[in-house]
Amino acid sequence: MSADRFTVGDRVRVLATVQDGNPRTPRYVRDKRGVITARYGVVVNPLDHHEPYPPLYTVEFRVEELSGVPGPDLVTADLHEEWLEPA
Amino acid sequence: MSGDHPHMQDFEGHVEAVASDLEYFRRKRIEPRVLLYLRRGIIGWGDLFGGHDEIGSADEPEPQADLELRIRALEDSLDELILASATVTAGVRLADHTVAIDDNRTERGDYNPEFRLPTRSYEGDIETRIGLLEKAITDARHLVAAFTRALVLAGQVTEEDLAANRSRLSELGHRNGARIVARAWVDPEFKQRLLETGREAVRELDIPPGRLGRLGVAENTEDAHNIVVCTLCSCYPHDLLGNPPWWYRTDEYKTRIVTEPRETIRDMFGLEIDPDRKVVVHDSTSDVRWMVLPRRPDGTEGMSEEELAELVTAESLVGSAEIASPG
Repeated sequence: MSADRFTVGDRVRVLATVQDGNPRTPRYVRDKRGVITARYGVVVNPLDHHEPYPPLYTVEFRVEELSGVPGPDLVTADLHEEWLEPA
Repeated sequence: MSGDHPHMQDFEGHVEAVASDLEYFRRKRIEPRVLLYLRRGIIGWGDLFGGHDEIGSADEPEPQADLELRIRALEDSLDELILASATVTAGVRLADHTVAIDDNRTERGDYNPEFRLPTRSYEGDIETRIGLLEKAITDARHLVAAFTRALVLAGQVTEEDLAANRSRLSELGHRNGARIVARAWVDPEFKQRLLETGREAVRELDIPPGRLGRLGVAENTEDAHNIVVCTLCSCYPHDLLGNPPWWYRTDEYKTRIVTEPRETIRDMFGLEIDPDRKVVVHDSTSDVRWMVLPRRPDGTEGMSEEELAELVTAESLVGSAEIASPG
């Protein structure tokens, strides 16, 4: 099993589109920048996935980055590695 | 359930949430299972018709004239449907018969539109929609009742198992969540294990950890207020915490909370978050389902773990409310 590409504190950008990636990456975080705040490794979820997806992370985004509304507030989403690139 | 929201102000929101819940359970939890069991011969059509004959036709309740009472009756009927469906689902665990629904078919690549169960729309003015939903929920309850009897007739489940499941599931409300929170307040080491390992830690309270992905726990502090959403569907750790509040499935909440969280919490829940605290929204998926660990209120020093658990509300577990000091 390959090692996780990212670690807690890494800055990442969510890709705009991914072929065969987990389809549950919310649209509003695509092409946005965030920070890894937790990592889970490969999550086995046979109720929802036929094959396991690559490792899963919690990524934290500033609301300002997502919607342009200024302020200190944050949104976290749990995303699989194939959607992330270093930022 | 209806006692959880004493002031029903948004009739449209309630009716929309009922329609969306009904379609979710009908399309994902009920009809695919009935169809699968028929296809695989686990029950036969004769069992299903025999089951239907045994239950007879349910009494049609007199429709309430008052709109609010009528919507509450609709919500109660939906709760009953969901409980009945969960009761029979928990009763029969057949390893070789995973129920495929459109979503996991799409993900695993064998989606076939031939098998699609389309989402029904309930249209018209609000009274017309309520009428259509009353009929649809009654029909779905007939189906679940007949299906349950059919499984008994086919020898797949016993009356005793069903009664035990029903009683266990009725007990499941936000009480498990309240116990988890109270333990975390009195036992810092447990709290740390809960934050780090999620579901693994709840075993210590003799709560079954469940199977629905990871449990994310977001702790409210002096610096941060957390709130949970599922923007894609309505994921929630409901196997641990029972069903989320009714508004959790509304599009208004899902859309607004990730766009302007602080304003949404103020407008929808009347909760002003101190400007010194940041708001953190956690978007759940089926991989990680989030709950909020609320702050322990002042004036609770010396209270027992059981007394503390009594203070914890279902809303506070989602993050739409804080917990008031007692007295």
